[in-house]
Amino acid sequence: MNLQYFLQQLVNGICLGGMYALMSVGYSLVYSIMNFSNFAHGGVIMVGAYVGYFALTALHVPFLPAFLLCGLGSGLLAILIERLVYSPLRKRHAPSLYFIISAMGASIFLENFVIATIDGTPRNYPTLFANSISLGGLSLGVDSVLMIIVSAISLLVLMFIIQKTKIGLAIRACSYNEKAGTLMGINSSLVIFVVFLMGGILAGFAGMLYGMRFIVKPTIGQVTNKSFVAAVFGGLGSLPGAIVGSLLLGVMEIFVASFNSNLRDLFVYALLILVLVIKPSGLMGKVVEDKA
Amino acid sequence: MSMLEIRDLNVYYGGIHALKGISLDVEEGQIVSMIGSNGAGKSSMMNAISGIVKYQSGDILYRGEKLPTMANKIVKQGICQVPEGRLIFANLTTYENLYLGAYLRKDKDGIERDLKRVYEIFPRLEERKHQIAGTLSGGEQQMLAMGRGIMSAPDLIMLDEPSLGLAPLLVNTIFETILEIKAMGKTILLVEQNALKALSVADNAYVLEQGRITKSGPGRDLLKDPKIAEAYLGKAAH
Repeated sequence: MNLQYFLQQLVNGICLGGMYALMSVGYSLVYSIMNFSNFAHGGVIMVGAYVGYFALTALHVPFLPAFLLCGLGSGLLAILIERLVYSPLRKRHAPSLYFIISAMGASIFLENFVIATIDGTPRNYPTLFANSISLGGLSLGVDSVLMIIVSAISLLVLMFIIQKTKIGLAIRACSYNEKAGTLMGINSSLVIFVVFLMGGILAGFAGMLYGMRFIVKPTIGQVTNKSFVAAVFGGLGSLPGAIVGSLLLGVMEIFVASFNSNLRDLFVYALLILVLVIKPSGLMGKVVEDKA
Repeated sequence: MSMLEIRDLNVYYGGIHALKGISLDVEEGQIVSMIGSNGAGKSSMMNAISGIVKYQSGDILYRGEKLPTMANKIVKQGICQVPEGRLIFANLTTYENLYLGAYLRKDKDGIERDLKRVYEIFPRLEERKHQIAGTLSGGEQQMLAMGRGIMSAPDLIMLDEPSLGLAPLLVNTIFETILEIKAMGKTILLVEQNALKALSVADNAYVLEQGRITKSGPGRDLLKDPKIAEAYLGKAAH
C-alpha cells in the first residue's frame, strides 16, 4: 500500500465517518435525554435523501438550497414522529422498550410509506460536482471535500449550541437528570422538541450527502444503522463520543473494505457486538442506568 | 391569607394512597417543618406542590390562587424545591449548576447579585466554581443544591431532607444556613427526618404519618410533646 493510496483511502474514510457523525449525533442526542435508541432515525435520514433528490430533479435548485431543504424536511419529520409516537408514550411514562418498538414501527412505516407513495426503485442523484482537485499527487473529488466541510460545519454548530447556549445547558442538564431539570423550571417538552429538531436537521443533511455518494432507495435507513453502531462505539449519549466513534468507524470501514469489500459490514457489526460485550459504555459514553 | 394553603390533598400512585387528604398552611416569612418517618408521604407532598407528581383531588393555593400544574410554571411563580438526594447535575460545573437555578430569570443584575450572595454563604462553592459538581463532597453537593435553589430567587423555598447523610458538624452548618435563608426574607417549607433540628428552627410544624397529618402546632410545642419525643426524638416518654 503506497502513501498516496493510503491518504486517498483516509480521505474516503473521513468522508464516510463525517456522514456517519451527522447521523449518529441524532441517535446520541435522543438517547441522552430519553434513554432509548430512536430507530426511526434511519427513516428520517431516508426521507431527507428523497427530499434532496426531488429538490434537485424536480425543483432544479442548486446544491445549497437543496441541502437546506433536506434539513428542514427531516427536522419537521423528526418532530412529527416525536409528537405522534413518543409524546403519548411519554405522558404514560411507558418503559423504554415501548419507545424502541414504536421507533422500529415508525421506521418500517416510513419505508413502506415511501414505497407506496413514490416507489421502491433505486434512484441516482444527478452529478453535482464532477471535478476533482489535485493536491500533491492526491486527487480529491470536489464532492468529497464538500462533504467533509459541510459535515464539519454542521457538527461544530451543534457542539456550539450544546456547549455555549442556554438551551444547550438545559439539554445537558436534562440529559443528566430530567427531574432535577424540571425543578429548575426547564420545560422538558421544549428540550425534547429541540433535540429532535436538531437531530432531524442533521439527519436530513446526512441523507442528502448519502444520496450524493451512493443511491436513494426506501431501505437506506437500514444502511444508516451503521451510524448507530458508531454511536454505540463512541458511547451512546455522548456527543463527542458519537463524532469520534463515527470518524473512527468510517476510516476503519474503508480500510477493511479496501482489503476485502465483502468484510465491510461483517467488520462493522462484529465491532458492535465486541463493544457491547467488552465495554458497553463505548469510548466515552455515560454509564448505562435504567431510569425508572 | 396564608402564602401557601393545601386543602384536602390526595395523591395516589396506582393503588397506593400516598397522601390521604392532607391540609396545611405556610405563612409568609416563616419556617414550616414537616416531620415524619420514611414513606410517610413527605416527598410526595413536596413533589405535588412542585408539579412533579399529579394529585388526584384537593387544592394547592399560592397567595390565594390555584397553583399551575406545570412544573416550570410553578418555578416561575417563585416556588422552588431543593430535592431529596440533592439531584445536582454531576456532569456540569458548580457554576453551571448555580446558573441553572436561575434558568427562568431574565434580570442579569439580580442573578449576579444572588450569585455573590450564594458565594458569601458558601465560600467553598466559589473556590470550586469551575469544578465538575460530581466531584464535590456530599456536604458541598448539599450546599450546591441549596445555592442553586437560592439562585431561582424564590419566595417559597422547599427543602427536602437537606441534612440526609451528612456528618453532624455539617448538619449544623446546613441548619444555620436555613436560618440565614429565612433572614433573607424567604419562606421555608422544610421536610426532615432530623425531627429535633427541624422542630427547633420551625415557627410551625406538622407531623405526617402514613399519608395523614396527625399533629400540628408551633415547633417548640411539638418539641415538648411526649408522644413526639418518644417517636421522633429518641427519648423515652415520662
